[in-house]
Amino acid sequence: MSLTLGIFIVILLITVGITYWAAKRTSTTADFYAADSALTSAQNGFALAGDWCSAAAFLGFTGLTALYGMDGAFYALGPLVAFCTVLFLIAEPMRNTGRYTLGDIIRSRMQTRTSLLAAIVGTVVVNFAYLMPQMAGAGVLVRLLTGISYDWAVIFVGASMIVYVTFGGMLATTWVQIVKAVLMLSAGAIILLMILSMVRLDLLSLFAETERKYGANYLLPGNYLKNPFDQISLGLGFALGLAGLPHVMTRFYTVPDAATARRSVVWVMFLAGAFFAGTTLFGLAAADFVGLDAIRAADKGGNLTLPLLAQYLGGGKATFGGDLMLGFVSAVAVATILAVVSALTLSTSSSIAHDFYVNWVKRGQVDGKREVWLARITTVVVGILATALGLLAQGVNVAVLVILAICIAASANFPVLILSLFWRRFNTGGVVGGMTVGLVSSVVLAMIGPAMRGADALWPLVNPTIVSMPLGFLGAVLGTFLWGRDEENERRFDAFLLRVHTGAGPR
Amino acid sequence: MTGNETPLEAAHASVRTLISEKLRYLLPMTVIFMVGYIGLTALAGFARDLMGSKVVGSLNLGFVLIAFNYLLSWVLAIVYGRVAADKFDPLAAKATAAIMEAGKPQ
Repeated sequence: MSLTLGIFIVILLITVGITYWAAKRTSTTADFYAADSALTSAQNGFALAGDWCSAAAFLGFTGLTALYGMDGAFYALGPLVAFCTVLFLIAEPMRNTGRYTLGDIIRSRMQTRTSLLAAIVGTVVVNFAYLMPQMAGAGVLVRLLTGISYDWAVIFVGASMIVYVTFGGMLATTWVQIVKAVLMLSAGAIILLMILSMVRLDLLSLFAETERKYGANYLLPGNYLKNPFDQISLGLGFALGLAGLPHVMTRFYTVPDAATARRSVVWVMFLAGAFFAGTTLFGLAAADFVGLDAIRAADKGGNLTLPLLAQYLGGGKATFGGDLMLGFVSAVAVATILAVVSALTLSTSSSIAHDFYVNWVKRGQVDGKREVWLARITTVVVGILATALGLLAQGVNVAVLVILAICIAASANFPVLILSLFWRRFNTGGVVGGMTVGLVSSVVLAMIGPAMRGADALWPLVNPTIVSMPLGFLGAVLGTFLWGRDEENERRFDAFLLRVHTGAGPR
Repeated sequence: MTGNETPLEAAHASVRTLISEKLRYLLPMTVIFMVGYIGLTALAGFARDLMGSKVVGSLNLGFVLIAFNYLLSWVLAIVYGRVAADKFDPLAAKATAAIMEAGKPQ
């Protein structure tokens, strides 16, 4: 415990130092929302890795693999494949078209207030659906890892993210993510090396050993997701949902141009992908070395698998090496949570301050200094709200919210974004239609599904993406046709296309 | 490209070339990774026994295919990076130059 706390205090001091440094360099809106678009591809690649790997990735994938075998490996693969969609279709157009938010893209394409409002709703709903379980998860994990109470853990995480984002904006958020990514990858590399030396480079023995201990069924799919359609739905949710998550997509505004944005995706695919692949081996190793009984005894969801494995590899309980490894991995887990909630808070307050207040309410008539001040106030409000929701969520089943966030991202934000970028006839009616249908169908299906209602489920799938995503697209297309031809919008599309593909555009 | 079109028309023409060039590469690449990945999840759901068939020792086909998907994603990322730098960027630069030309006061 005290070692964990010690390591964590060091990490905390580093992040506070970063925030102090970043605060002095954050004065304009471009600084606050996008770190002045001055990052290199490697920096943004690391920050993306820090942004995208939540505690669910850092701790959860290892736990799922340990407890359920192959299904855990599927969970880990999806978040990497998701970057193919982002790389091919979204990253460069995003960088070329928008400035600070997802709403910027919809606004510059449609130039209507209604469509901007729809984009704001999509951003804020997805972010809060993602933020709330992160806060609740933070409370549980920090309590498990350090021993402080759930409430204090949530308040501590909430206060830290408010400080980072309010003072340091995107620059502080970015460097907190980079530090976290470096720590996470180092932890992964150390654990991998220890496993390799443990099994004398024979990784296949991990498979043989788990099969011997837990039976042939252990290495088969379907131990966690029983319904075959849930497997596919999860896959679709990952493959398309990432591209609709505003807190990840706004990272592309922090680089100077499309080519850098593209290279940063390649970076993250290798950095995060290697880590995800590692979690599969870590899970199997934990099942072998630590054993499922000990893993379940520590936390029945398996969230402490990686810390336990680290402790075992370091030398076991009550050895200095074991304590050191446990402390290190636990501290990195907390840093992981801080990096992700900071990004979510920043993205939410950017959308509320920039999209809603400045561009919707004030129609852009706000000077930069005032906008930064407003964005900082919004950050504090969003942070307090998220903390309060985290406190209320104790004991509530928040797993459904994670599914919901990614499902809405895939079913509402993704169709609207992709059609805005690539379909000439797409119009304001389509934005509203896609957003509404995608959002409502995701929420309704998730609420009546097994994640929320257990055995009383009115609908069999935990993850509704396989149905709600096509519905979202359908809503977008129907909305477009019902709205009727928008000739001016279609004429403007040529100029918009220039900007989407080159970043320059005639004025 | 003929000499008597305006810079803006030239810009639109180069962007159209760029888009068709992008489609030529991105459509097949998108199909490959979607089929590879969603196909894998479908196999996991519907072909449990096939996924469990042993390849080497206790390592089964499912884990091999998962590993293959990692490699596929990485290879596609590198290929895309190469293609974008070699083929897309010059076309985009040409279009940008034409837009700048069009933006100049006559």
